[in-house]
Amino acid sequence: MENNKSRFILEETNDDFQFGKYKSHIDIKFNRIAFIFFVFFIISFIYSIHLVHLGSRESDVKIIKQPQMNNLAKRADIVDKNGTFLAKTVSSIDIGINPVEIIDSKKLIINLKYIFPNKDYDLIKLNIKKKKFFWFEKMVSDENYEKLMRLGDKSIKPQEKIRRLYPQKNLFSHIIGQIDDDNMGISGLEKSLDEILKQNNSPIELSVDKDIQFLIREELIKFNKIFNTLGSAAILMNVNTGEIISIVSLPDFDPNQRNTITDVNYINRATKGVYELGSVFKTFTLAAALNKRTVEPQTKFKDLKKSIRCGKNIINEYDKNIPSDLTAEQILIRSGNIGSVKIGQSVGIDDYKKFLNDLSLINRINFDIEEVGVPISFNWGKCKLATVSYGHGITTTLLQLANAYSILANGGYQIQPTLVKIKGNLDQKKLFEKDISSKIVSILRKIVILKEGTASLANVEGYEVGGKTGTAQKSAIGGYSRDKINTFASIFPTSKPKYSLVVMLDEPKINNEYIYHYRDGSGIKYKGTPFNTAGWTSVEVAGQIIEKIGPILATKYKEIN
Amino acid sequence: MKKFFVFILIFSLIVVTSLIKNSTKKIDDDIYSLNENIRFLKTRLENTKLEYDYLSSSEKLLEYQKLYFENSLQKFSIDQINTIEILNNELFFDKLRVTD
Repeated sequence: MENNKSRFILEETNDDFQFGKYKSHIDIKFNRIAFIFFVFFIISFIYSIHLVHLGSRESDVKIIKQPQMNNLAKRADIVDKNGTFLAKTVSSIDIGINPVEIIDSKKLIINLKYIFPNKDYDLIKLNIKKKKFFWFEKMVSDENYEKLMRLGDKSIKPQEKIRRLYPQKNLFSHIIGQIDDDNMGISGLEKSLDEILKQNNSPIELSVDKDIQFLIREELIKFNKIFNTLGSAAILMNVNTGEIISIVSLPDFDPNQRNTITDVNYINRATKGVYELGSVFKTFTLAAALNKRTVEPQTKFKDLKKSIRCGKNIINEYDKNIPSDLTAEQILIRSGNIGSVKIGQSVGIDDYKKFLNDLSLINRINFDIEEVGVPISFNWGKCKLATVSYGHGITTTLLQLANAYSILANGGYQIQPTLVKIKGNLDQKKLFEKDISSKIVSILRKIVILKEGTASLANVEGYEVGGKTGTAQKSAIGGYSRDKINTFASIFPTSKPKYSLVVMLDEPKINNEYIYHYRDGSGIKYKGTPFNTAGWTSVEVAGQIIEKIGPILATKYKEIN
Repeated sequence: MKKFFVFILIFSLIVVTSLIKNSTKKIDDDIYSLNENIRFLKTRLENTKLEYDYLSSSEKLLEYQKLYFENSLQKFSIDQINTIEILNNELFFDKLRVTD
């Protein structure tokens, strides 16, 4: 029994319940602390979320700012290469009047008369009587806006609007273009760079120079009157980069007026107009032959006829006194038609076509604006090669002509004409050897300095001008009209070509009163235009232009090391 | 005791964070108002530059020339302008050219 008792006691001390009770007591204590920490954790977590939310407060600021920006439709400014504004977006305030809210109309009109004395107040009184909202004054000055607000009249409703200003007015109208009322570009760079202008905050820098543009435009306007032209155009290009320093087409327009232009005479003659430009193509014929090595400048052509027939076409010499024996160089200097045909035939259709194509003359050229003309395509043949060799029956744009002459002058490197300032280095493809370029430039110089050349009026001292003239009849329905397109494509200085200048006059007429000053140092003056040719019209214009812009090009653009 | 210190540490961190955040909020506000001021001044500068561009445009300058310097301005041709270069303390004169 004793054994049994002791065994019982032993069982009691090992009671499971007591052990379990003790364990649960510890658990409760631990959970209480964990719970407190958990609560603190939740509080700190919520507070952290709040802090993160506060930390992201910047985005709230942006949300506040954005509606203001959106109200004023964004459009980046356009500046020239010197940072002068060519197109600028400004905000302005228009003042409207809501007649329903007018308390004392007589008092209001007296006050308005004091601020705007020159307005038609009879019309304003009529508008007030109609009891409908109307615009009282657009683009008010800050000073007048302040005066109006001081009146404290609730019927005066100011509204902030954006305006696109073109401070240079007509000067860049053809290339900058216009926008519509919805901030959409409708022509020129405003159209082609529409998205970039809307996205950019910083201004778009162009390669053009407003001072040079002004001088060239002034000369063209002057000579449009002298030669009574239908219009004219000129392009000044950097031959090494393709950057356009000036591009003028007349007549032009003031984009600030926002007029819809329907008159075809306002076409951009520099880029959109497609013309037969005549003898300026002879330079390409000779360059193609030099490139193919079929002809050298001193290669002699003997017994050249004054007239040849190819199919239905009769090809005549313009200059009846042109010698029958000429070198290739002399053919270009004297602008011989038959000689150019012979040179073209030595090149052959395929090689000549490829050469013109490499110079981007016969297909549409890529440019920064959409207003670009497409040269008229034609079927090549034996007779077509003959006529194209002297610039007949082939069309192109003035821009492409300037581009091709630049390539001929820069040593044969392909360039892309551009209005936007180039930043960084250019990756240029070589189209032909440098010696071809040197030979052509040397002949172009002779055209200007030699007596038998056709461009002596462009021999401006100090600028070493070289170039080729082109007098072409304008094509009309079923043939050609008597009206002319007179062109002069030039490069300068010929010792190290840097610029190409192309001048085109559309339908010039002779002027019997204009006095020419010979540039051969003789001091001879000549009154009246003897012939309606490029040599007496567009060459004179180019000479005058180079004389005006030359000092700027020589000083402003001189790089000082 | 250890838990108490942990609690104090967390609490003080929260307080310090909120104080720093409060001060950065003030700095943010200052930056915002400065940016707004810069924007305003930038607009004024651009408008003044626009006015300057207009008043100093070639067209206007020719108008001023006619008004104030009718016969006093002279035209120089390129052969009348020379360039001066200093090499080894010596002056060299050269004709001005269109190219570099």
